[in-house]
Amino acid sequence: MSHLGDRLSALVDGELTGAERDRASAHLASCAQCRAEAAQLRALKQKLRSLAEGAPAEAAMTRRLISMTGPGGPLPPRRRPLRVVPGGRAGTRGLGASARPVTFRSRPARRRYLFLGTVSLVVGLGTAAFTAGGGGQAAPGPKITPPVELYSVQHAIITGEVPFSAPSSRPAWHTFAPGSGASAP
Amino acid sequence: MFTLSCAQSRRRSRPPRLLAVALAVTVPGCLLTACSGASGSPHDQESAASQAPAAAGGSAARPSSARAITLLTQAARAAIATSYQGQELVSRWGNSGETILVSNIWHISGGQTVTQTVAAGTHSSGPYLSSDTDGQAPEGVLGVTMPLVRLLQTHYAVAYAGAGTVAGDNNRPAQVVEAWRENGTLAARFWLDDATKLPLEREVFDPAAHLISEDVFVNVRFGNPAPVHPPAGGVTDPQGPWTDPLSPGQLLELRAHGWLVPVGLPGGLSLFAGAKTQTGTGTALDLGYSDGLSVVSVFEQRGNLAAGLSGWQKTTVDGHVIYAAVPDQRSLTWSSRGMVYTVLADAPTQTVNAVIGALPHDSPPGFWKRLSRGFKRLASWVNPFR
Repeated sequence: MSHLGDRLSALVDGELTGAERDRASAHLASCAQCRAEAAQLRALKQKLRSLAEGAPAEAAMTRRLISMTGPGGPLPPRRRPLRVVPGGRAGTRGLGASARPVTFRSRPARRRYLFLGTVSLVVGLGTAAFTAGGGGQAAPGPKITPPVELYSVQHAIITGEVPFSAPSSRPAWHTFAPGSGASAP
Repeated sequence: MFTLSCAQSRRRSRPPRLLAVALAVTVPGCLLTACSGASGSPHDQESAASQAPAAAGGSAARPSSARAITLLTQAARAAIATSYQGQELVSRWGNSGETILVSNIWHISGGQTVTQTVAAGTHSSGPYLSSDTDGQAPEGVLGVTMPLVRLLQTHYAVAYAGAGTVAGDNNRPAQVVEAWRENGTLAARFWLDDATKLPLEREVFDPAAHLISEDVFVNVRFGNPAPVHPPAGGVTDPQGPWTDPLSPGQLLELRAHGWLVPVGLPGGLSLFAGAKTQTGTGTALDLGYSDGLSVVSVFEQRGNLAAGLSGWQKTTVDGHVIYAAVPDQRSLTWSSRGMVYTVLADAPTQTVNAVIGALPHDSPPGFWKRLSRGFKRLASWVNPFR
């Protein structure tokens, strides 16, 4: 008894017609081995069909995920052409009978840019304010350079010593007015 | 700041810079005689004296002697009542090392005192003159004044150390008086002229027995001092005059007007003098603090330090950023809360640092305070109506 061979796959694919299909079916009825092979071929074909149907959706999802998590910071604005077909599938926006490409920016991207802009503004202003807020508190009053010579003479008065400051670049003559004050002669 | 390492090493092993300077400004023969003839004088015992405080560190406190107090009181009066002239050599050891001042001094009994500084360290330039027209200020010689003598006997044990001679002035006979701390360390030693009691020499030691200042009065002549003439080149006046000394009550009243008037400062310093003056930038207040030996003047003036302080350099004392006048760094200044503080001190480094730490300083603002201040400043910068 000869088995079906190549005709088995043709049978599973529905490619046999007429007398050939009848003879193949009669052989399957009497041959357990060919029935088992035919069952395996059908199961394999079913799996391949299911894979072929799910692949486009998964590929699109993968591309989207990669684009969202890719390095280099925020994504540049991307314009996606959409060809809208009248009466198209759910999830597409019908814009009329004349199908033409349309573009739009996704709402999450706009929120992201708004958030980043706000953060940058706050950080920039805060840094500027922190820098500007440094240094001493400018209390009201004149800007003073301590008169060392005057102070040195007064210090000498209360210590009973000679003024111990570096001599000025020009001769200085100090008199002490009655009662202790210093004045020009 | 105020490291003494370099200066200390020099202090121990001098032939004194003082005498070297004196040699340059006085009659060479006289000073050579003084240097060679110092044997047996108290000055000759200086190295031993400098060591003495450390050796006596554990000894009991000494009682004050009535004779010593009497001698110092006589010395303070003699500085006013005696006519004299001579040269005063002042040495100070601070953070910038040794600084020497050489001055000619004339004084008429009960009247005018003229001080002409002819050299100051390595920065000799034009003479610096001062005079006292009424004999009241400066009223003392080598820091021996009546107020300071009173404070000295309050804070130290004043002891009579016997007779001696002053090395720098032809072995002139002198009476020696010492001031001791409670812990038994030597704080100061005075040589008083045997005949007039005028102070002729003074040494001051810090608590670690380091010599921090030495004043010597040489070539002294008594009676009929030479007439005083201002130098050629005109005269200058630092500004002033200062008011009469303020009474304790007046000083305390200043607090009500926003002045800081502590009655005491670290190191046992008591408020003993005060005066005010008008400067080009407002009123300046001087507060004098002393324990009889160390004297600290605190000057206050309302305002803020100028942005570019010429002749001052930034330094840090006790964690506070302040400015020190160059080159001797004896004047220290900073501003806090709208007041400029300037400190001049004849005191040990530890005392000066403690005084600076006790006076107000601006603390760095916190994060939020600084941020708030910065936003206000930014707003003021962009405010077109400001």
